[in-house]
Amino acid sequence: MSAYNLNVYMPVVILVAIAIVMVVGALLVGKLLRPHNPTALKEQAYECGEEPVGSAWSNFNVRFYVVSLVFIIFDVEGALMLPVAVVFRKFQGIGNGAVVLGSFLLFIGILVSGIVYCWRKGDLDWVKSFTLNSYNEDRDQIAESKTA
Amino acid sequence: MNETVVTFFSGSHPYQVVTELLTRYLGFNATGLLTVVTFFVACFVIVNVMALVGGLGTYAERKISADMQMRQGPNRVGPFGILQFLADGVKMIMKEDIVPKDSDKMIFFIAPILCMAGVFATLAVLPFSSGFTLTHLNIGVFYLLGVSSVVGVGIFLGGYSSNSKWSMIGGMRGASQIISYEVPVTLSIIAMVLLGGGLNFKDIVGAQGGLPHQWFIFHNPFTVISFIVFFIGALAETNRAPFDLPEAESELVSGYHTEFTGMRFAFFALAEYVEVFVLCGVAVALYLGGYQVPFELSDTFLLHNKIGLPLGPARILGQLLEVGGFVSKTCALYYVVIWIRWTLPRLRVDQLMTLCWKYLTPIALINLVGVAFWVYYFDGESMWNLIFKSGAAAAGGH
Amino acid sequence: MFDNFLFISSAALTVCGALAVVLSPNLMHACTYLLTSLIGVSGLYVTLSADFLAATQLVVYVGGVVILMLFAIMLTGGNDNKSVNKFGIEKIAPMGNIKTFTLAGLSALLMALVISKIIVNVTKAVPKGELPPFSSTVEKIGELLITDHVLAFEISSVLLLGALIGAALIARPRKIES
Repeated sequence: MSAYNLNVYMPVVILVAIAIVMVVGALLVGKLLRPHNPTALKEQAYECGEEPVGSAWSNFNVRFYVVSLVFIIFDVEGALMLPVAVVFRKFQGIGNGAVVLGSFLLFIGILVSGIVYCWRKGDLDWVKSFTLNSYNEDRDQIAESKTA
Repeated sequence: MNETVVTFFSGSHPYQVVTELLTRYLGFNATGLLTVVTFFVACFVIVNVMALVGGLGTYAERKISADMQMRQGPNRVGPFGILQFLADGVKMIMKEDIVPKDSDKMIFFIAPILCMAGVFATLAVLPFSSGFTLTHLNIGVFYLLGVSSVVGVGIFLGGYSSNSKWSMIGGMRGASQIISYEVPVTLSIIAMVLLGGGLNFKDIVGAQGGLPHQWFIFHNPFTVISFIVFFIGALAETNRAPFDLPEAESELVSGYHTEFTGMRFAFFALAEYVEVFVLCGVAVALYLGGYQVPFELSDTFLLHNKIGLPLGPARILGQLLEVGGFVSKTCALYYVVIWIRWTLPRLRVDQLMTLCWKYLTPIALINLVGVAFWVYYFDGESMWNLIFKSGAAAAGGH
Repeated sequence: MFDNFLFISSAALTVCGALAVVLSPNLMHACTYLLTSLIGVSGLYVTLSADFLAATQLVVYVGGVVILMLFAIMLTGGNDNKSVNKFGIEKIAPMGNIKTFTLAGLSALLMALVISKIIVNVTKAVPKGELPPFSSTVEKIGELLITDHVLAFEISSVLLLGALIGAALIARPRKIES
């Protein structure tokens, strides 16, 4: 057996296949057992007994997008830090720990400065437009525009 | 080659005999065939055990919650109602399969598959024991993170495809919550990887010991905090209370699986319960010593030479001891998860995000730096070793 | 045998997924197909024994970028059936003029040349020899990141910092101009 062996990935493929077969199989087997008499009411989306108004596929707040954007950045950071973390103790063993720690800390430091910036600017707040200050500002502006 | 179930079994005598027999009988080298068959059987066994765990998880959840609220809980089907989950399963499969008219039919079909596939694929690296783990991949923890992130996509698509307002909001919340809490979880894992010196679960578990003071959770003060951050993040990633906003029944009916009936719903629920088990298992492997057994009782050498068991049973017994250690720790954590669910009230969405980005992420970052410093200054020794050494030095010992 | 199976299935996933992305008229479906395509790419990395890269592909692309795209689609209100437009010809007026088209053509030519250069190398016969042992690539990557390529490691941090601040900036609510 050669050292170059992909067999270790075989369980992954088998498990995914089992998952797919399980879902599809259960739905197919269930087809023989379960009743099937759909009515227009059953096929409506559930909205607590009301007739659904419009589609649910509406515009969503931009904050979800931003969260995922920030997440990707952290994800990439993590992916870059992991290999360094893996070899850290080995370099420590040969007396190179300080250099590695330095570059590791620099990497984290740059990242932290970004978070600190976002925090100070209020970008980490989930509810941005309803902070009391901005609410008061808006109210003042509206009042001004009305009097003007 | 990395260690897998197959390499564990292929060392044993019966396996080699079977290989030889098959090779002679079939007329070609049966090693490859037997590898596939062994893997398949092992996967099948683990999937079934996990489905059982998922089913018993629902039972445990109902029984423990009943216990906490001075109720009876399920007690009709089987002794103490333990077969309730089977009755539920039969009921689920008999239920009519309703697909909303306005839904996106294709994605409606795909979403449960994504959830199930994502969760089941994580089982490949879950370290039940040193030999019975399906495969010790080199990228173990990182692979697990990547595969389990498919579940987030599945939850989002499940919410989207229903074309119901409740589902849509639940799906959006679910996906954003899962990805947000992945950040502190990843950072905590990096800290543990720093200590363990490898992504492979075998390395990380192997760097720990069987007794609590050898576990990574008590390795140094930072790892205790790291464990708490990881555990909170794991709760949020599996949509467990107090972070079950995607399926908050008081505001979103049932969240992303409102429109899913019968088996489709059952698969979402099963995926969730299995994922809780998997993440508890990961927490055990990373922090609580994994499958390590105290005093190296599971050591084949000890069982074989000292106690005098034959080699084959000695190996199997050792592995079973390790599985027992792993599963009992994981079940203890599972109990804590359920306990938390029935103790704490649900968070609000903005509190959830504040907790993640303003508390857990900075804490996890500081922890990471702390652990890195600890490894540098104390050469990766645990605090108990240091205390013992300084105590010995103070007492004038050698 | 499993190597071949893994390669063929992941290649098929990648190609079919990519084709489906292009051909699907539905934006959400296209995103779902993209998911399969990305998973296929990760499988291809595995067949190349670049296991860490494969996991990174899963974590960053499947877990991050696809969700980002899904959120971006929801930002525009999801897939409304009225806006289905297979080729986007009626909606988008031709952007650019002769200058930009020439530039685009030239850059396409350049890219084609580069790609053909790669293909030449790939199709050239490679002497048969021992394949490198399938050990952990993570450690090699880590070693290189802090020895030879430490500058790239740090600069990537700066790049990510820029991306973080950019992401925060575009999401910031606009001040009301009065």
